[in-house]
Amino acid sequence: MGELQLKNLTIRYGSATVVRDFNLAVLDGEMVSLLGPSGTGKTTVLKAVAGLIQHHEGEITIDGQPVKDLPPEKRKAVMVFQKSLLFPFMNVEQNIGFGLRMQGRREREIRREIDQIMQLTELTGLGSRKVHELSGGQQQRVSLARALVLKPAVLLLDEPLSNLDANLRQQMRELIQDIQAETRITTLFVTHDQAEALMISHRVGLLLEGRLRQVGRPRELFYRPADPDVARFFGGCNFIRGRIKDGNFYSEFATVPTALTNGNGHLLTATIRPEDIRITPESKYELQGRIQKTNFEGSATRIWVQCKGNRFVILTPDADFSPGQTVSLHLPPEKIRIFPAEEKSVINDPIESL
Amino acid sequence: MIRINRNLAAAVLVTLVLLPFGVLIMWSFSTRWFYPQLWPAQWGLRAWQYIFGAAGTQIVSGLIQSILVALVTAAISLVMGVPAGRALGLYDFRGKDLISVLLMLPVIVPPLCVAMGLQLWFIKLGLSETFSGVVLVHLTFCLPYSVFVMWGVFSNYNPDYENQARSLGANSWQVIARVMLPLILPGITVAGLFSFLLSWSQYLSTLIIGGGKITTLPILLFALMGSGDRPVAAAVSIVFVTPAFLALLFSARYLGGQSIPGVR
Repeated sequence: MGELQLKNLTIRYGSATVVRDFNLAVLDGEMVSLLGPSGTGKTTVLKAVAGLIQHHEGEITIDGQPVKDLPPEKRKAVMVFQKSLLFPFMNVEQNIGFGLRMQGRREREIRREIDQIMQLTELTGLGSRKVHELSGGQQQRVSLARALVLKPAVLLLDEPLSNLDANLRQQMRELIQDIQAETRITTLFVTHDQAEALMISHRVGLLLEGRLRQVGRPRELFYRPADPDVARFFGGCNFIRGRIKDGNFYSEFATVPTALTNGNGHLLTATIRPEDIRITPESKYELQGRIQKTNFEGSATRIWVQCKGNRFVILTPDADFSPGQTVSLHLPPEKIRIFPAEEKSVINDPIESL
Repeated sequence: MIRINRNLAAAVLVTLVLLPFGVLIMWSFSTRWFYPQLWPAQWGLRAWQYIFGAAGTQIVSGLIQSILVALVTAAISLVMGVPAGRALGLYDFRGKDLISVLLMLPVIVPPLCVAMGLQLWFIKLGLSETFSGVVLVHLTFCLPYSVFVMWGVFSNYNPDYENQARSLGANSWQVIARVMLPLILPGITVAGLFSFLLSWSQYLSTLIIGGGKITTLPILLFALMGSGDRPVAAAVSIVFVTPAFLALLFSARYLGGQSIPGVR
């Protein structure tokens, strides 16, 4: 059982507000990622839940109980830091058993719990190793086991994979996913890596500049961003302007049927993902453009196309394009996402503003 | 090349450290040894018999006095040095540079001046010729060292270890005892040893503040050397050096191979 609620959370460092009006609920057994670039207050939120810093306004409840007055050791939320922070003067077993020993549990019980969790985290046989004899991935698993063994109501993970190399990260992601699925432990996971967040979590919350901009299932955030900033964070870089009239969004590049009526006649922004634009060297489509630059990225090629004063970025599996070439483009209307409200920041050159 | 250098280093070390000791040991076992002679003319155990016989009780009480003073001084200097070093190493506040200068002062100013200046106050406060007075004056020399050592240790200290421990369910006392102290143990050993040895070898300040009432080993040693009996003085010197030497050996062995984070 574990349910975490953050209501109107505001946290300041001195006079600077780091987190503002933050609302998030993590349901029992759910894995929620808090995603955002570094320095946006993700870790601050975790530390506030863990009780390592005090929040100034709002409320944090774990299992329906407000925790503001509880010291960190009494909260049923355990945090795992970015660095593994294993105690160097203890071996693996002693590190894992640390929390249980602090609770003064019986030694036999502690032994049993340690063995169990070491099996779960694939550490069996490493119990008497010194910390410095472990590889980076093993260290991170020990630090995960050290938290899991306490069976906290809420597990807080602060970028536990960011110090690992690419291969190991993938393995660890799968391990965390498996463990979470098996133990159904309520988890709040912080990361700056969008792929990690999308892959690992049931729901993702995107935090930009101390504000939670959108919360939803990974597909929702990816395909139905709430505003241009969210789209941009997930690699969306094509923005077009247009107006809504009589159930259609009209722009120079495409006409999109829409149910939206708000902002009727006003200039609105819409976006399309780079992999959704169709590109061909034949003059098959209405839109004509000239290739400015191509970038071969392995499984796809990124192409910058100048078209009617707008610059489009296109991802295509086809590598046979070269700069200077004339191409035709098609923006499928069903892939275009119109932002309901007009943003103050008008996007003229999406590449520069990235 | 490297091997030669290593041998050279060993030779220099032996010459500089062990040779004076050798002379000291020879002196303590000699009964007649005059200037131009390279070796003592006559060997004997007179000095050692004197130390363990006639002067035995005096030496033992001096030894106990020295150990007590040095232990108490080292303990207080740690109890004060660890929190002070922690504050200086982990937090930024105004006046840090000033504190650093103030801490260095007793080390820079000649000990004679410090002891003479303090004596006037100690007499007024009734601390002169007392055990606590001697410990206090020793602290003026020991504290800067332990604060500086701990300052260095805590500048390289990651307080997230403590946050992690708290999040894992340790209360403040458990964090100090089970996490902080083990993490800084090498630093504590160094600071404690520094303080102990510094206090152990204090002569002038003990003489001025203790006024002859607190007879630590160095006080006895100087008295014996003044009497001109070289073999006895040499033997007392050996008794004086041995505990310090053992402490150093023990800690070198204990600290061997471990890096001491942040010790400047």
